[in-house]
Amino acid sequence: MAEKSQPSANYSTWPVILALTIVSAPLVLMYVYLFIDTITDTAVGSLIPESFTLRHWRFLWETPAGKPNIWLVTLNTLIFATSVTTVIVLVSSMAGYVLSRLNVPGRGFFLAGVMVLHAFPSVTLIIAIFIVLQMIGLYNSLIGVILVKAAIDLPLGIWLMKGFYDTVPWEIEMAGVVDGASRFRVWRSLVLPQVRPGIMAVGLFSFLTAWSEFILPQVLAPGSKVQVLSVYLSALIADDNNFDFGTFKAVGVFYIIPVLIVYALFHKYLMNIYGGGSKG
Amino acid sequence: MKTSRMLGLVMIAPAAIMILLFFLMPVVLTGVFSMTNMTTATGISGGAYQIAPHSLNDLKSAMPEIAEQMSQPRYTIDEVGLKAVEGLGLDPGIATELRAKHMGEVFPSRREVERMIKGLDQRPSTPDVKKISEQFNRSVVNSRFSSKEELFSVLDTLGFTLTDGQKNSVADVTYTGWNWTTENFSRIVSSPDMARVLFNTLLYVALVLVLFNTTYAMLLAIWTHYMPSAPATIFRSIWLLPRITPVVIYVLMWKWLAWDTGFISVLMGKFGYEPKNYMLDNAYNAWVFVVLINGFIGASMGMLVFSSALKAIPKSQFFASEVDGASRWQQIRYIILPQMRWPILFVTCYQTLSLLASFNEILLSTRGGPGKATEVWSLAAYHTALNNYAGNLEYGLGAAMALVLVVIGIVLSLGYLRIFNYGTLVSRPLIED
Repeated sequence: MAEKSQPSANYSTWPVILALTIVSAPLVLMYVYLFIDTITDTAVGSLIPESFTLRHWRFLWETPAGKPNIWLVTLNTLIFATSVTTVIVLVSSMAGYVLSRLNVPGRGFFLAGVMVLHAFPSVTLIIAIFIVLQMIGLYNSLIGVILVKAAIDLPLGIWLMKGFYDTVPWEIEMAGVVDGASRFRVWRSLVLPQVRPGIMAVGLFSFLTAWSEFILPQVLAPGSKVQVLSVYLSALIADDNNFDFGTFKAVGVFYIIPVLIVYALFHKYLMNIYGGGSKG
Repeated sequence: MKTSRMLGLVMIAPAAIMILLFFLMPVVLTGVFSMTNMTTATGISGGAYQIAPHSLNDLKSAMPEIAEQMSQPRYTIDEVGLKAVEGLGLDPGIATELRAKHMGEVFPSRREVERMIKGLDQRPSTPDVKKISEQFNRSVVNSRFSSKEELFSVLDTLGFTLTDGQKNSVADVTYTGWNWTTENFSRIVSSPDMARVLFNTLLYVALVLVLFNTTYAMLLAIWTHYMPSAPATIFRSIWLLPRITPVVIYVLMWKWLAWDTGFISVLMGKFGYEPKNYMLDNAYNAWVFVVLINGFIGASMGMLVFSSALKAIPKSQFFASEVDGASRWQQIRYIILPQMRWPILFVTCYQTLSLLASFNEILLSTRGGPGKATEVWSLAAYHTALNNYAGNLEYGLGAAMALVLVVIGIVLSLGYLRIFNYGTLVSRPLIED
């Protein structure tokens, strides 16, 4: 990650630290207030909170009229994110191996296709996907939006898994083949354990992007039975009748905590992916 | 050879099917839908034929007489009407005679049918004549037919004498479903709104790309480069936060900052300024916020790419330059920047496409407002086809707008494939079994 030694002995470092602190301040401020505002009350026209309160967190035990229950929404989000992750990990760990190792006709073509699709801005397809899901009856269902989200993130998953498979030494597989194992057995028992960090990275990344996804569920599954947290929160914010930043932020914190935990625990895996170019 | 090929095909099949269904098919279908005039009104499956007042108005210019005839009620002596007459409780001889002598006859006006009824053997009274004639009133206005054939057969039984060409034009104006058309594209080209949206899009991509995705990201990378590792890690993590934060929360925080009861308003209130919504107050402010919101997200990717490229520069180059007395600026200018061409190209290529297509942040922050000041192409397509205040969603036009982006996306990403030479990434398998 960061340098072990100073790149320069001649210059002092405090000016850059100061400059970076100043430009980072608004960002830090926004995140600090995101958390503070959920458990405090602040007088109008003041920036300093004055009293502790839990009333912004009422949404956890009270369901406002016309809004779905928060726990149902959380469950939907969890189902959505884990299903997308499972599909992507399963499909891309197989396809990545084929592209890295097996002799399949059209392999180069498929790999190029995956690269093009990875760069391709898939959100432009949302209108066609919306119409298709309406035609085949998967509109407003979790299954439909799970399949679409998984397919859209699949090229990145395949690409990353192919990269991880490329680093596995051929000798491992050759040894397995010489000992009489089938290619499938070799993949399953010998190669797959070698790419566990890759599976981890792809899985974490898929989970985070699915957990954060907004526009696909918003367009393809907006119904209250299948609502996910992002759609729930945006509907809450868009509702002009109950304007309350404290509650918005409490829901926001509730929604962001899993993301922050995953990021704090595993940010080494994720750094590589974000640096390699993810969408957004 | 055989087994690995079979295994390969089986293992890649799920990926291929998913990509085919949810990637390639939507690409093709975007093209197909863009050639239609699908809207909420026409529905997405086929439509029906309905002779509504407005369709008769359309017909008036081409075939005034027929339109006039169709708008008038017509009188047909049919079984349904006869049953109704029997139910009126009049002399049963009336219905019997009508059935025997006049079954299937068509009268173009009330006057004619009533003259016929008056001439019946039973000689019904004038109020009864009116009652009877009413049972045979068969106006075509507002009737609905599920197919062309049904429409034509009803027109025939009602005694309209139409040529095939006339029939087809009647079918055309009464059809409620969607049609094939190329009008969407001419609308895009000729509409002044679209020109404005195009300008917005170019401005948005250029500003975010130049100010944040490259310049500011480079600044962050260089700053953290000239820093001990502990603070560098902290700052990098801070600047990754916008990317990992779910977009709804991220934009919520910006709204809080800019809202009329938000941070900036309160802060400026201390200096005597009126509180206002700084984000939507005027077009200029909206643009500043749109660029900042997207820029802060975009900066993180560039920062990571540039940081790892910086790390790849041999330390000896920095040490040597310092021995020669180079200033920090000279190091940046003559050592760092020349070696950053490739990463900058990569980030530029990559981010251009995602900026062109993504509209999450603008949708959630300004919704393209105030007015249409920050409406970009992808957001305009979304507003046209999937969500607008008017409620009539124009799927066809929206698909045509999306198709423009799809084509740009395909062309550019194919181009990138050449630039970054991905052909070398496929290696020959070493085990051939």
